[in-house]
Amino acid sequence: MTLTIELNQVTLKRDDQTVLSDLNLTLSERRIGLIGNNGSGKSSLVRLFNGLLQPSQGHLQVRGHNPAEGPEAMADQVGFIFQNPDHQLIFPTVIEELMFGLRNQGLSKSDARERAEHCLREHHRLDWADRPVHSLSEGQKQWVCIMAVLVMNPAVLILDEPFSALDLPTRQFLTDWLLGLPQQLIMISHDLDVLAAFDRVLWLEQGQVRGDGSPETVIADYRAACNRAFSL
Amino acid sequence: MKDQALVQMALYAALVAALGLIPPVPFVTGIPITAQTLGVMLAGVMLGPWRGFLSMLLFVGVVALGAPLLSGGRGGLGVFASPTAGFIVGFPVAALVAGYVARLLQRQSILIAAGIGAFVGGILVLYVFGIVGFKWVTGSEWLRSVQVMAVYVPGDSVKVVLTALVAQAVYKGLPGAVATRQA
Amino acid sequence: MMTLYVHRQSWLHRQPAGLKLLVLMVTSVALYALASLWTAGAVLIAVILAYRSLGPAGWSYLWVVKPLLPMFILIFVVQSWSQSVSAAILMLLRMLTLIWLANLVTLTTRMDAMMDAVMPLLSPLRRVGVAPHRIAFTVALFVRFVPVLMAVLNSLLEAWKSRGGGRAVWRLAIPMLINAIRMSDHVVQALAARGGVRSPETPVSMVQHQ
Repeated sequence: MTLTIELNQVTLKRDDQTVLSDLNLTLSERRIGLIGNNGSGKSSLVRLFNGLLQPSQGHLQVRGHNPAEGPEAMADQVGFIFQNPDHQLIFPTVIEELMFGLRNQGLSKSDARERAEHCLREHHRLDWADRPVHSLSEGQKQWVCIMAVLVMNPAVLILDEPFSALDLPTRQFLTDWLLGLPQQLIMISHDLDVLAAFDRVLWLEQGQVRGDGSPETVIADYRAACNRAFSL
Repeated sequence: MKDQALVQMALYAALVAALGLIPPVPFVTGIPITAQTLGVMLAGVMLGPWRGFLSMLLFVGVVALGAPLLSGGRGGLGVFASPTAGFIVGFPVAALVAGYVARLLQRQSILIAAGIGAFVGGILVLYVFGIVGFKWVTGSEWLRSVQVMAVYVPGDSVKVVLTALVAQAVYKGLPGAVATRQA
Repeated sequence: MMTLYVHRQSWLHRQPAGLKLLVLMVTSVALYALASLWTAGAVLIAVILAYRSLGPAGWSYLWVVKPLLPMFILIFVVQSWSQSVSAAILMLLRMLTLIWLANLVTLTTRMDAMMDAVMPLLSPLRRVGVAPHRIAFTVALFVRFVPVLMAVLNSLLEAWKSRGGGRAVWRLAIPMLINAIRMSDHVVQALAARGGVRSPETPVSMVQHQ
């Protein structure tokens, strides 16, 4: 069973607040969506998978690996894409951004460059290699962020609201592209339409699982709950 | 003074505060180095002498008012009575000199201009303030004061190099952001 | 923003900020002018007792000097050896007294009260085009920026770690600074769209940034 993410009685406390309580989950589907209101614990949950956060209680295993070793050790297995590309892009040019992860994996500068160029060539974007990242559009930047992670060949891709700053056509383009990738996808999204093609959707509320199943049912339940009583 | 200047000054003061919240890194000499003075040198090099000075004055002023923004979460009036008080008081002047020297050298590469500016302002001038402050507060002799403070120099010298590298990188992306390089 | 001010209703809290600052200044000068161990000791005890007015846990605030303890010990040893033990004791008494007294003023005085007390001293800055309400605005903006920059740094750090980044984290200063400069450009535009920092009533809250 090394193809799954398993959580066993996982509880997470941050600053004396219980963010996740007693979660037991087995995530083996290829496309898993994660929805819920702000503060429900979704972002914290996915950060457990690559070791950015450690559980206060309980165990978890990600494809046979223990994230307790920390994010650096998990980087080979789990790729993480965050919400804002401007807060992920560290290097001035596209090629350097792609090379970063490869260098951390131990490749020499020339090998990393070759792999990165190969990657860009496969996606018909070799001409982007020396472009400054900040000259790209928001959608292009996020694409570079995803590439910078994919080039490391992870088994799992986690995306924390990756499309918030993007317009509709860009979102659709990126979603279709992601759905065609071989990796296991775990995506947090406030854009419910994007998750329609996923295999399983988890609805988190106040650190617990309130809904778990096919996108149609869970998303419909969530929408219904949102339409009911709401106060700021 | 234009609104833009006020915003820039607030920004670099906030940068120094944010850098102060990074935990100190142990250096090869065993003396931990903090990231904070990197922001002071950058303020001078990026904003120029006058705005760099005012920006750091803003930072020190808000620390004096009671904000725990110095490395280690220190702040308030107590820090001005401690042995390192000289350094804190020296922040604005360090930025002023760093900016002035960087501007003087603007015909050189930015790496040189920023590096030398950071060294003169962030090491030479700042340590003069630090040593004088130490002597006044503790009543030690000059020689002792210099010896105690000198142990921090190797670690701080790393920041001079970093200031130059960061200034160069930012200049490549946003040339207008480096005030010490406008003819 | 987190400040060191302790929210209480003690007699020290009720004293005006200006008075407390004055007492602090006078004490500083006096302590350095006098050289009597007994006077210094007495003042130190008075300051320590004053911490009790902060409540039952008042004395725990004395631990503010904890990070300085190694340095105190070093200086004490060096001074005893190069001057005399009594000179070293006097130095320690003075330093502790002033650090604790100054800290006490900070703990019992709100930031805005301090600023009001000190504003008159800043009026010379008017001549370089920095009116008091503009100073107040800049202070508020600074305070607003700090958590935003922290959040940017944290996000960058997460992204760095997630791709296996090592110890060369100093590199993050570059995107952090670029983001910060871009942000400040947005703030300037937002300010201009609302008429700029012209009147004392310009609130910082109107300045929107991501």
